Amino acid sequence: MLWRELKFLFALWKANLLAAMEYRIAFLSMVLGMMLNNAFYFLFWVIFFDRFKQVRGWVLEDMFLVFGVVASGFGLGIYFFGNVLQLSNVIAKGQLDYYIAFPRPVLLHTLASRSVASGLGDLTYGVISFLMLGDLSLDTIGRFIIGVTLATTIFLSFLILVNSLTFWTGSATMLSAQVVNALITFSIYPITLFDGTAKFFLLTILPAAFLGAVPAEFVRSFTWSTLGQMLLAAFVFLGLSISMFHLGLRRYESGSAIQTQI
Amino acid sequence: MRVIRKYWAIFTTQLINNLAYGGDLLARSLTIIMFMWIFTQLWKVTYLSLGEQTIAGLTLRDTLWYLMIAEAIVLSKARLSSVIAESVKDGSIAYQLNKPYNFILYQFSVGFGDSLLRLIVNLLAGGTIIWLLVGPPPSSQGIPLTLIAIFLGWLIDFCITSLIGLAAFLTEEIAAFEWIYHKLVLLLGGVLIPLDFFPGWLRSITQSLPFAFSTYAPARFFIDPHMNRFVLLLAGQLVWLLVLGSLLAIFYRRGSVWLSINGG
Repeated sequence: MLWRELKFLFALWKANLLAAMEYRIAFLSMVLGMMLNNAFYFLFWVIFFDRFKQVRGWVLEDMFLVFGVVASGFGLGIYFFGNVLQLSNVIAKGQLDYYIAFPRPVLLHTLASRSVASGLGDLTYGVISFLMLGDLSLDTIGRFIIGVTLATTIFLSFLILVNSLTFWTGSATMLSAQVVNALITFSIYPITLFDGTAKFFLLTILPAAFLGAVPAEFVRSFTWSTLGQMLLAAFVFLGLSISMFHLGLRRYESGSAIQTQI
Repeated sequence: MRVIRKYWAIFTTQLINNLAYGGDLLARSLTIIMFMWIFTQLWKVTYLSLGEQTIAGLTLRDTLWYLMIAEAIVLSKARLSSVIAESVKDGSIAYQLNKPYNFILYQFSVGFGDSLLRLIVNLLAGGTIIWLLVGPPPSSQGIPLTLIAIFLGWLIDFCITSLIGLAAFLTEEIAAFEWIYHKLVLLLGGVLIPLDFFPGWLRSITQSLPFAFSTYAPARFFIDPHMNRFVLLLAGQLVWLLVLGSLLAIFYRRGSVWLSINGG
């Protein structure tokens, strides 16, 4: 059962890659462009820490790690499940008709049907940022992989949750864009800037800390408590998002529009 | 006069269109509120850990009001390059080119109509949050001249984003140029950190680039409104407008010749 769905996922990703390869120059320009884009943004922190040295104990090396985790997690999510950024539109425009007609999990099929090329640039940049720290022990690499995977799960789950509101509200495109913006913005600033209430907010209502600071902490040093927090958050958000999507799906009404998938 | 009236009509139509989406405008203002709150946390901690009242001559209040103006300018920009590139890619530019208006001036009128309301809302939302967090602005004397500087800075940005959009005549895909330009503005335009905090050698280079004249210089003038500063700012903006405006005119004329329409 699981193997069957995995084979289906690989087939979708292969189809997405082959489609992208039809325009390989555009694809490469998106990947390289995003890497450069992230590098330019990171220069802010290089200049900042060159001048001010530390922010409540956070130094430039911490930023390398946070950027590594956030960029990898975000890139992984939007490259392999790129429709998550369009999910509200897909629901609102009645385009779920196409996916419902297949004997495959609707949510998984919808999300994996699109790959955002720039996501591969984010992922590559994230891995490079992590490698630049120079700690390449198997332990650290393993923790990085686990941290990024859980961060991706929480990121995707939270976006599915927000976009599923479309079933009730008719559109959540603006809200979804704001949430992505807020998640990324809050995740790439030192968590030490925020006090107790703000930290609680970033661990629950807007789980940006689980995209950057918490997995970064886990990569830095293993503790059962950090791993437990991340697993719990991933489990809760994933469960909530799948339930919310399927609850909404019962309310979904087809627009009877003719859909073509190219 | 008839020419001006034509573009004025396009500008006002776009302005009225945007007024119809008040909710959208208010939702956008949440972005500047979020950024200003984070910036306040970051710079409060930084000033506190240095234990100094001023950094490079700027107090915490100066820095935050400066960052608010720079952020409001950037968040109010219309996404002109994507719009122009899209019209080149989908061929709709062919319909626009044979209309009785200049394509670039049309984009200018539409873009300005999009930006103006956003700027007003962002300045009000950003100004309110910063006022609540660190108190009133250091000075209000420079407001009229700051608005002129913001407009001229917007024109510099318009020239650059139009050039990026027109690059679609050659490359079709311009997203990467757009992202990188945006990051250059954030960094070298002093939107994330005042250029005054840069190391000396980097500061003198970045302060003479067009990115600085579109964001840093108007925001810096707002917190320190001296006539000398305004004269230098105006001179720099006019020089860059001359250079970039000429480039835009040349590139647009050449681009129209290269144009190939993919279907219709």
